[in-house]
Amino acid sequence: MGGAERNARKRRQAQQAAGSRGSHAGASAVAKARGSGDNRKTIAVVVGVVLVAALIIGGVLWTNASKNATEGQQIPVATSQPFAAGVVEKRDGVVVTTGKPDAKKTIDVYADFLCPICGSFEAQYQQQIEEQINAGNLAVRYHMVPLLNTRSNPEGYSLDSANASLAAADAGKFTAFHDSLFKTQPEEGKRGYDKAQLIQLGTALGITDPKFAETINAGTYDNQINAEFEKTSNDQALMQDFGQGPGFGTPTVAVNGKAIDRSGDWLNQVIAGQLG
Amino acid sequence: MLDALGTLARLGLAAVWLVSGAVKISDTGQTFIAVKAYDVLPSGLVGPVATAMPLLELLLGVLLLIGVGTRWVAVASGLLLLVLIAAIVQSWARGLTIDCGCFGGGGQISADQTQYPQEIARDTGFFLLALWLMIRPRTLFSLDGWLGKGSVGKSSGNSAAPADDYSDEKSASL
Repeated sequence: MGGAERNARKRRQAQQAAGSRGSHAGASAVAKARGSGDNRKTIAVVVGVVLVAALIIGGVLWTNASKNATEGQQIPVATSQPFAAGVVEKRDGVVVTTGKPDAKKTIDVYADFLCPICGSFEAQYQQQIEEQINAGNLAVRYHMVPLLNTRSNPEGYSLDSANASLAAADAGKFTAFHDSLFKTQPEEGKRGYDKAQLIQLGTALGITDPKFAETINAGTYDNQINAEFEKTSNDQALMQDFGQGPGFGTPTVAVNGKAIDRSGDWLNQVIAGQLG
Repeated sequence: MLDALGTLARLGLAAVWLVSGAVKISDTGQTFIAVKAYDVLPSGLVGPVATAMPLLELLLGVLLLIGVGTRWVAVASGLLLLVLIAAIVQSWARGLTIDCGCFGGGGQISADQTQYPQEIARDTGFFLLALWLMIRPRTLFSLDGWLGKGSVGKSSGNSAAPADDYSDEKSASL
């Protein structure tokens, strides 16, 4: 095939293309005059980028606001009933015992301040428990366990709040502090209360001793709390079956060192000696 | 006909992402717990991933819904689904007992409540939708169509140009 024929063929092809492109060119010129084609693309891209940016920025802001719901809040004080005469509240290691010395029955309550089911348990039973304490029927040993310490965002609320409640016990305000923390409980997966807020709660409850703030800031009881939790979670007698075989979970109520089944009217049954 | 099927795939996948993303962003605490339960990311990344994942899903869902860049959104969807499937497989293999948290929920559950095969099968089904759209992104009622990407009859490229005829040059060089 000669060069001339090749060029002729190319020219014919180009003409065909130009012909079709020409009609296309004509069409797109008309379309452009109508404001479509490239303009459409530009509008679409600009709108798209704006929408995507708005979605991402809005989404991040919303998520952070939701996660940090407790930021800057003052933990509200829960009004609990005052203790009757003779009720003693004392810290013993990392356990706080509340009750009259000659109380009929003693129970151990294991709870985590972040645990939502513990929050429900508190809402349902705390008032009755305090009434029974006042009546001299019950003494309660409160065990603060940092079971969910990694489940706040940022981590550490369970341990900080446990330590703070022990500091409050030293200052004689354990029950009010404990009840307040459960009444306005932070959500799992979200920000808990920071040390400043915990100190603020103590102040609102009337704690003036500077040791209170020092203990919270230094995490004085942290190691003890963790060591005790290690023992607790390996204690067979405290284990229950939550569906994955026997394991330790919160809340756990124990009588004579053994976890009890909390269905039905367990509190009165314990006091009557029918349970545990 | 194939366009219609593609449209169903596109809208179906869009619905998956939009619902999944919306459920996750409406309970950010639960999403954090769900991501943490996989026990596979370094702890510093759990938060950012738990924030970003719902947004990414919503973004993919919106882009699929309006049908822009369908092929690339399908590729991104496919990649994300592969990552999610891999995460479920690793938790199954390691004996974790968690809920995947794909449509809410998530976190620890009891051993007899795990549904790993079902979750993997479902995500694989979604992956097939994305695969279709990767191979054949042409659909009806899409922004891609409005922008003229598929309007000349081929999925991409300047399909109006004549095909090169190289046979002349080859024989001419002999």
